[in-house]
Amino acid sequence: MKGSEHLILSAAEKLQRKILGLLGRSLLFAVTSVAALSVLAILFFIARDAWPFFRDKGVAAFFFSTAWYPAHQPPEFGAAAIFVGSLLVTLTAVALAVPPGVLAAICMSDILPFSVRQVLKPVVEMLAAIPSVVYGFFALTVLAPFLQDSGKWLPGGFEISSGVNALNASVILGVMALPTIVSVSEDALQAAGRELREGSYALGATRAETLVKVVLPAAVSGVFSAVLLGIMRAMGETMVVWMASGNAAQIPKPWYNLLQPVRTLTATIAGDMGEADQMTGSAHYHVLFAMGLSLLVISFLCNLAGEWIVTRQRKRLRGG
Amino acid sequence: MHMRTRRFLDRAFTSAACLAVGLMVLFLLFVLGPIFVKGAGAYVFMGTVEHRRMMLDQFDRGNEERVTAEWLDVQQARRPVYEALSAFEKELPGLPAARRKELKPAFKAVREGVAELLGPEPGEPLPALTRKMYGQTRWTKAQEKLKEIRFEESWDYSAGAGRKVLTSRQPLFDGTALAPLFPLLERDARKLLRPRLTFYPRFLTDVSIDAHFFGGIGPEVLGTMYLALGAMLIAVPLGIIAAIYFQEYAKEGPVMTFLRSCVNTLAGVPSIVFGLFGLAFFINTMHVSSGKSVLAGALTLALLVLPTVIRSSEEAIAAVPRAYKEGAMALGAGPWRTILTVILPAALPGILTGIVISMGRAAGETAPIIFTAAVSVGKMIGPTEIASQPTPALSWNLYNLCTEHEAVNEIRHVQFGMAATLVVIVLALNLVAILIRARVARRLKG
Repeated sequence: MKGSEHLILSAAEKLQRKILGLLGRSLLFAVTSVAALSVLAILFFIARDAWPFFRDKGVAAFFFSTAWYPAHQPPEFGAAAIFVGSLLVTLTAVALAVPPGVLAAICMSDILPFSVRQVLKPVVEMLAAIPSVVYGFFALTVLAPFLQDSGKWLPGGFEISSGVNALNASVILGVMALPTIVSVSEDALQAAGRELREGSYALGATRAETLVKVVLPAAVSGVFSAVLLGIMRAMGETMVVWMASGNAAQIPKPWYNLLQPVRTLTATIAGDMGEADQMTGSAHYHVLFAMGLSLLVISFLCNLAGEWIVTRQRKRLRGG
Repeated sequence: MHMRTRRFLDRAFTSAACLAVGLMVLFLLFVLGPIFVKGAGAYVFMGTVEHRRMMLDQFDRGNEERVTAEWLDVQQARRPVYEALSAFEKELPGLPAARRKELKPAFKAVREGVAELLGPEPGEPLPALTRKMYGQTRWTKAQEKLKEIRFEESWDYSAGAGRKVLTSRQPLFDGTALAPLFPLLERDARKLLRPRLTFYPRFLTDVSIDAHFFGGIGPEVLGTMYLALGAMLIAVPLGIIAAIYFQEYAKEGPVMTFLRSCVNTLAGVPSIVFGLFGLAFFINTMHVSSGKSVLAGALTLALLVLPTVIRSSEEAIAAVPRAYKEGAMALGAGPWRTILTVILPAALPGILTGIVISMGRAAGETAPIIFTAAVSVGKMIGPTEIASQPTPALSWNLYNLCTEHEAVNEIRHVQFGMAATLVVIVLALNLVAILIRARVARRLKG
């Protein structure tokens, strides 16, 4: 029996294997940490370059002043209007996308037969896969002229001065947030389980009653995190708002007038970095990092909220 | 509630839900339709004789004899146009002052229009810009120019909203030597330009000439490939190793929970923030290159797709049946050997799906490469220049061509061609992913 000698390891071999295993393990752990901790590096470097701005110009003017004149002497960096622009566009987009998104998720999980669902899944994936710059291009070349003309058909000969405005960006952002909302809500609805539905049907409820009064409440936390993810997608999107929102740093008058151009945080970063002196680090350069930091903090908060909802739901389910 | 009302509500709810799904499909068609239809126009279109001349001059393509013969014919056909122009130019000083004042700007517009339509007049010195050396190369664009010559465009603001008004220029020139020009242009346009169905598949690989007025999108396609492949080369090893660690080694505990939520948070970071980070870290701190470069862009994109690669690889590894692992262990394989020879091969299709989808994402992203890798005008760069040179890329240049380009309206076909090409690349990658998944599903079922 020649092979049997190899099956029994000497103490030295055992030690060697153990050391090798440990080495390999720590190598894996190191690589994993680098991958995972890169998000902290992002936070650190964005904050490092945002810090000079807050140190020199203070915090209050940045958040509460609407005077955005980075090219003036002295420059003014009041970003309130830009924050409002981001908020307005994001919330409108999500408000437009949530009702059809949740309805479509319900339809896909409970109403349509399996074969149709197999066809629709790729449709949702395609909507999600189309690059944002292509959506922006569509907004600029197809939707904007259409919007501009549509004023004529409305009663009273409504005048829309420009097709690139908050509404255009919101509609497109809504379409972009739709696949996220649909697929995450659908997963949540599916996870609600068969027993729940069958119990409801057995009590004589119609399908609509089952879905609205039984399944949806059971899946509400999943739907909520779908909405949060939709908000994050719309908030962080750059190209569409840069191309379609008009980029005017102003709060619309009245504030809900979506037909006026607005400017968002992401578009300001993308658009102004070319003018801001990248290497010497002017105030204009640092204020863009301050905006990046704000975006980062908002996305962290959304993430925390999402995780909190998920853990709470898990606890509730465990508690019966 | 009445049974009837309940049933009605049920039906209404069902139809509303189906409507929402229909709306979604409609959105997809509504976005992709115009882009595909107009984008195809960059590859297949009615090309005029000017296109063939341009291809011969600039790319040395086409049958030289035939193009020259055609060009001579066309010049013959164009002679009356130029005769009318020069005859009117001679006539103009002799006209009464009031009429002269009226006709002079109109004549100037007509003459410029003809130069745009047919190229520089014979005998004129060759213009410096390539775009001015040729007339309209595409028949659809030529028809627009023709309309601009024949009609004057003005805006009527009397009804509040501005309305475009077209007035024919012909009556203005009645009785002058220029009068025959208008019916001639209307009647003989095809003889002047000779439109013919043209296939231009090399739009995909050709360099652009004179800021995309002519030629193709080769440098952009190449740049997008470099960036997407580079990002995957960096992200895939990192992502798979992290996935293996999370699935096979990690003991649940506060450290792992923390690392996991870090990955989740990374997935939620806005893409423009990745761009800022790439600028602040890779370029201004690490100095991987002196300015923008493909390498810096690929590193930034790699970070962006990392969470997707990790998650999809984790899912694929988790889906490998436990029995495989136990079987391998029972045969005496160590953990390393088990992972390398049993778990990874079994998880490979799932991992590939994630990789392919992430690659599509990396190819289509714009915001992260604005500050790190992309330039508006650039040549094709060689593989050796990756660490030092920025590159044009489909996504960035699509933005650039439809907003910042000096003649946005003249190069619509290039913009649509670029958008369609980018969408086709991304959707093709997604299709590959869907096919892989379908195969895996079938294998698991069989």
